[in-house]
Amino acid sequence: MKKENKKTGAQVLVDSLAKAGTKVLFGYPGGTVLDIFNCLPEAPFQFVLGRHEQGCAHMADGYARATGRVGVCLVTSGPGATNTVTGLATANMDGIPLVCITGQVPLDYIGTDAFQEADVCGICRAVTKHTFLVKSADEIPETVAEAFYIASHGKPGPVVIDVPKNVQRELTSAQYPERVSLRAYHPESMATATQMAKLAKLINEAKRPVIYAGGGVIASGAAKDVAQLAEKAQIPVATTMMGLGAFDENNPLSLRMAGMHGNAAANYAINKTDLLIALGVRFNDRITGQLSKYARNAKIIHVDCDPASISKNVHTHLGIVADVKDVLTTVNSRIKTAEHKEWLAEIGEWKKKYPVSYRKMHENVIMPQQVIEAIDKHSKGEAVIVTDVGQNQMWSAQFFRHNLPRHFISSGGMGTMGFGIPAAIGAAFGNDSSKIVCVCGDGGAQMTFEEVVVAVEHKLPIVFVVINNGCLGMVRQWQELFYSKRYSGSILTVKDRLANERLEQDLNYDYLPDIVKLAQAHGANAMRVIDPAKLDSTIAKAIASNKTTLIEVIVEPRANVYPMQPGGQPVESMIFE
Amino acid sequence: MKKDELHRLNCFVENKPGVLARIVGLISGRGYNIQTLSVGPTEDGTVSRMKIDVLGNDSVINQIILQLRNQVNVIEVTSRRKS
Repeated sequence: MKKENKKTGAQVLVDSLAKAGTKVLFGYPGGTVLDIFNCLPEAPFQFVLGRHEQGCAHMADGYARATGRVGVCLVTSGPGATNTVTGLATANMDGIPLVCITGQVPLDYIGTDAFQEADVCGICRAVTKHTFLVKSADEIPETVAEAFYIASHGKPGPVVIDVPKNVQRELTSAQYPERVSLRAYHPESMATATQMAKLAKLINEAKRPVIYAGGGVIASGAAKDVAQLAEKAQIPVATTMMGLGAFDENNPLSLRMAGMHGNAAANYAINKTDLLIALGVRFNDRITGQLSKYARNAKIIHVDCDPASISKNVHTHLGIVADVKDVLTTVNSRIKTAEHKEWLAEIGEWKKKYPVSYRKMHENVIMPQQVIEAIDKHSKGEAVIVTDVGQNQMWSAQFFRHNLPRHFISSGGMGTMGFGIPAAIGAAFGNDSSKIVCVCGDGGAQMTFEEVVVAVEHKLPIVFVVINNGCLGMVRQWQELFYSKRYSGSILTVKDRLANERLEQDLNYDYLPDIVKLAQAHGANAMRVIDPAKLDSTIAKAIASNKTTLIEVIVEPRANVYPMQPGGQPVESMIFE
Repeated sequence: MKKDELHRLNCFVENKPGVLARIVGLISGRGYNIQTLSVGPTEDGTVSRMKIDVLGNDSVINQIILQLRNQVNVIEVTSRRKS
């Protein structure tokens, strides 16, 4: 190969990202990635500058959740890379495909405690699916191809590629490979004929079956197949939080969300079912409560692409390691139609007796649940709801009628506060046909508020709704219920704080910072709603607008999320109010 | 609670940097103590063999094996009880 045909590692990296299908790259520059940034102006994909590397990682994550494609971010070495750790861990827990390119100090400098050096592969190992340290420019195209393959095959997850600065400057003639073949990693797995026959038999014989659908259904694009199974055999469907949207909640067969803050009918049905058909779930502790009493009358079928998740937390009677969609396509043709009239009638009673509801606490104070109902109403249930973590997340899960996959974006396993704002921005880059509504609390919003400016710069028509109750609501709720109402560290307003947290000067405003002014300073349209009578019209107007808008809603500070099945306890201990 | 027993895990892995760290991290990160560890080459220079002795009950060991098999560079894992 002639020398002039060679390209720098940085150029080859950018070319490889494009070849791998990158449409949007989220990132933040720094010393060790300058060579890569130097190639971006000519890149065939869009570059989006975040304002903090954690934000960049969450944007890539939100983009991946909204589209199903691999999210990509690029950050510098040392602090740039360590700032992405929370974002990587978030994606890792929820099985979201990400590729994160991190700069690294030159190979010669590694291990010398050089400026902005960190052992990124070492740090990220525990929170990623895989990490690569690239040692020569010749390895770059193949590494990028492998990283995208690993991120998106099997149970998806984040992959880090650590690229030393000298490697970016090396010349190479390496080409992007036509196909990826990994020696040791072959995640594809199919159900056997025996398993399929057993699965169909169990479903056909069940008297009180329940489908329990999780994020894996959405990841495998199997929502339609779940609906087909449910309709054909008249099986009610509960979902995890990650599975919201995997089954239309307007369907009478929907039990809505199960778990700690799940619908009572869903939890009761799982408690009484004789066959739990678990599809793409992990049996997380937030779903099961006390394991020994979970689904105590049921045979459990567990279909998941991750062999390590089968029988990890609960004993499984039939575990199938396979893609959920593949399994359902086959099994749907083998099951008999059924009615399960008695079972559905019993569930109907629970639904009637324990609807998702709340009581107004004070006449002129907005209840947080009302805010979600208003968003549901004015977006006709069609918005992509991106949430932060805590009470705002649970109310969004409970009071929005989820009906489409990839329309509920939330940090499930990791429960990362600060996820909402950047993830909404990432989702908006991926989905420009749906309205994006981001629901945050006042706590989480302050963690990554700086990213709002990215939405404004790119004229993203996102509606940020900050539900402000002046406290870290979920923490406060646990303190109210389990810590003798000692609100240590959880009150953000000035006047209600414990004595040890009281501030010297007497501030005459209660809510700090002023979130509306903060949003305006970032260039967004912003308004505050206090009067319940104005809630509906303000939300409707914001959803209709095509400007980046932030609505701060001052809500009842003492509202709790109910029902609640306290951690590690059985379904009997569910608290309703 | 089933009782803890010593298990020998035999892992065949790709001979690449970081593989040992990933495997050891996976086991120790879940709070399990490695009692003995040895790593050596096989006839195929691109494959290494790791012998890892871990104390745990059957379900813990089974979970560790499944997690190990999920690793990108792990070719095969087998185990047997050592007692």
